[in-house]
Amino acid sequence: MRTSALDQDLFAAAVGSMPADELSAVRNDAASRFASLGFPTARNENWKYTNLSGAAAISNAWLREHAGVPFSSASITRPGQAESTLLRQIDANWIVIRNGSVDMNSLERTRKNYGAVINFSHLSDRTAECDIDVDDPMSAFNAALLLDGLHISVSPDSDSLTPLGILQIDDPSQQASQVRIVLEIGRSSSLRIVECALSANHGAQFTNAVIQASIASNACLSHVRLQLRGDEHVGVSRITATLDRDARFHHDAFDFGGSLTRNDVVAIIAGTNAQVRLHGLYLASGNQHIDNHTRVEHRVGPAVSDEEYRGVLSGRSRAVFNGQAVVFKGADGTDANQSNHNLLLSSQAEIDTKPELEIYADDVKCSHGATVGQLDEASLFYLRSRGLDQGEAKRLLTQAFASEFLSELSVEVCREYLTSTLDERLADLVSDRHL
Amino acid sequence: MSTDPNNMESLVNRRYEHGFVTDIETDSLPPGLDEGVVRAISARKNEPEFMLEWRLKAYRHWLTMTEPEWAHLHYPQINFQDISYFAAPKSDKDRPKSLDEVDPKLLETYDKLGIPLHERAKLAGVAVDAVFDSVSVATTFKGKLRDAGVIFCPFSEAVTEHPELVQKYLGSVVPHRDNYYAALNSAVFSDGSFVYIPKGVRCPMELSTYFRINAANTGQFERTLIIADEGSHVSYLEGCTAPMRDENQLHAAVVELVAMKDARIKYSTVQNWYPGDENGKGGIYNFVTKRGDCRGNNSKISWTQVETGSAITWKYPSCILRGDNSVGEFYSVAVTNNMQQADTGTKMIHIGRNTSSTIVSKGISAGRAQQSYRGLVKVMPQASGARNHTQCDSLLIGKECGAHTFPYMEIRNPSAKIEHEASTSKISADQLFYCRQRGISEEDAVNMIVNGFCKEVFKELPMEFAVEAQALLNVSLEGAVG
Repeated sequence: MRTSALDQDLFAAAVGSMPADELSAVRNDAASRFASLGFPTARNENWKYTNLSGAAAISNAWLREHAGVPFSSASITRPGQAESTLLRQIDANWIVIRNGSVDMNSLERTRKNYGAVINFSHLSDRTAECDIDVDDPMSAFNAALLLDGLHISVSPDSDSLTPLGILQIDDPSQQASQVRIVLEIGRSSSLRIVECALSANHGAQFTNAVIQASIASNACLSHVRLQLRGDEHVGVSRITATLDRDARFHHDAFDFGGSLTRNDVVAIIAGTNAQVRLHGLYLASGNQHIDNHTRVEHRVGPAVSDEEYRGVLSGRSRAVFNGQAVVFKGADGTDANQSNHNLLLSSQAEIDTKPELEIYADDVKCSHGATVGQLDEASLFYLRSRGLDQGEAKRLLTQAFASEFLSELSVEVCREYLTSTLDERLADLVSDRHL
Repeated sequence: MSTDPNNMESLVNRRYEHGFVTDIETDSLPPGLDEGVVRAISARKNEPEFMLEWRLKAYRHWLTMTEPEWAHLHYPQINFQDISYFAAPKSDKDRPKSLDEVDPKLLETYDKLGIPLHERAKLAGVAVDAVFDSVSVATTFKGKLRDAGVIFCPFSEAVTEHPELVQKYLGSVVPHRDNYYAALNSAVFSDGSFVYIPKGVRCPMELSTYFRINAANTGQFERTLIIADEGSHVSYLEGCTAPMRDENQLHAAVVELVAMKDARIKYSTVQNWYPGDENGKGGIYNFVTKRGDCRGNNSKISWTQVETGSAITWKYPSCILRGDNSVGEFYSVAVTNNMQQADTGTKMIHIGRNTSSTIVSKGISAGRAQQSYRGLVKVMPQASGARNHTQCDSLLIGKECGAHTFPYMEIRNPSAKIEHEASTSKISADQLFYCRQRGISEEDAVNMIVNGFCKEVFKELPMEFAVEAQALLNVSLEGAVG
């Protein structure tokens, strides 16, 4: 384990060779924060089940390569098949982020389409206005090695916009990439985002993406995240949303790919009558590892949060779910629900789930539930007796379990693409050779 | 809804009834802990060599360990050198043969606690192995148990009279290196109870131990070992009260249960150590390691606990379901009021095939108390057909208290069926209003609702205990609603 820890000297050297610009102060601050937190290990309760030594090894190689060499925007790869298909099938204004840097053509096109309603700028031009989140070790790592980020702000009272698409596509030639997006949704506005993460090629790679969203009063952010990374990909992502009075945040996460994936979703309810809805589906096979950590902070009440994550595991895969609902003192009228359901299809898959409640107020309604089980024998028998073969019966039942969230998708335009991807993925899972 | 605030206050501020100190000279070791102390404890108890070796091994391992900090508890650092590790009533050397020879002051203590030993022993058919400070002083009904072949004696007696059993089973469920407090207990444990139920024997009566901390500055380190051999049954009761005192007292007990093939052990606890006053001054620090090993097929271990006392509770009675078809149960009611803090729950480790476990945890938090349920359900890859149902509910009374749930589930077998549900709420105003409307006073209504909330657990307790538990609950909570 010792050998795959992050090399702090290489890290410090890399931070030193970052360009001197408006982000320098942020980077240095984040670097010292990261130095005190360190790369997470299993000793850290939040990382108990997820071993990031793969990410550390990839980062070391990447940092070594850049030792003494100034960082610059990576070379842009040509769009591949997967990318073109995705962009064609989902009707949205797309911004493409390749190897951590924004494709300027896509940004210009999108900027034009939205006109004055959405303002896109470089994070380096807005450092004075936004508070870069570096509380979490990986978020600090991200900020310390960030070349630049994207700042997106939606003007107040704008509604019915075409969904915004964000495609993160990485080529393993660039071994590690840091992406950061800061979103500001103006008062009484609503924005729908489809975020997709793809790998352009096979190969080991580590990506670390952070989205910070602030949702003003009566505004709504709907966010669908679809992760279809390659099988050697190590990905860490974090989204933090802060909600003002009457604001809404809908987040639907679909994790189908990657070798090791860790997602952190943090929703902070800072205004009364805010609503948070988190849905997640993870499908894992082979040796995949998918870890979802969510935290909903009810700082004031009344407010409602509703969370449900579902997972299907086959092969030797492992999934982790940790849901925290925290009700602060005085947050009366909080209604928080949380559940996690898992379907284990193989004898070597593992699920570690922990739905937590931390409650410091008394006028609350909080509940959580978790289940782990396998396909119901009676249902299988029923389908077999109607002439379906074993595989087809399994697939059908698994599909029924996994499709729950598709009917209430918060961004409609990706339904078709998602449905076909889900079906394909489920077919893989059910026929996994480790079954 | 209007409530007389003065009345409320008087009820909330009700003082601990069992707080008094018995004035008995105790033969204590000076505060501090080193190898010499461990040797001295062992020597005073005339222990055989293997026990001393075991204690020293535990002590040396303890030195390498650090105090666990993961629990949701806040308390000042404990100075383990400030504690005296041994206190025995003076008359230890010539131990009494019967109740008549027992120091009358001791008997008086039990009387004050409402435990008329001789009467109770006869009337209730309960054998009492009463622990006063660290050495057991009176054991009754030995004869009847001996006829059945049951061994029920103070731990120190078992060490000298049944060394082969002690050597075989001691530390086989909770090894000396298990955790910080278990290691400390292994090094310095003073006494406790030892129970062995031979093959096929149904223990003729419920076995019971009353614990009581007395001398100031004395940590209480009991060790209980219960072995139920093939096909045997036993029900064991543990209950305690402690005198009022301003200094925090440390309690680090270890309980080990071994259930062989077809054996059943039912272990019930009513814990009512001194919780400290309303400002959180004083009170017992209770760090307990309790674990049962369902070693044989078809064995069953059931834990039932009612936790109302202690300033700090750190306790996770667990079951290792090793045998095929073995069953583990955990029923718990935990009440915290004022400044009490409790971090309690259970672990169910499914290893054998077709094992099942049930967890029912009811937490009630009032005043400025903080309470956490922390549980682990682990299903190993070979544990096919494992079942678990967990239900943990919390009731919050007041704006200042907290209730938290940290359930861990680690599942590695696809045939496992695991269900967990939890809820947190306050006593509903509708329910209270309904009761008040029918002429029931607010206190009675709260008691009724709380008792209803805990019913599932109380019905698992032996009858006398259930009565005591309900009374305790009412004392702890009456009027805490506002």
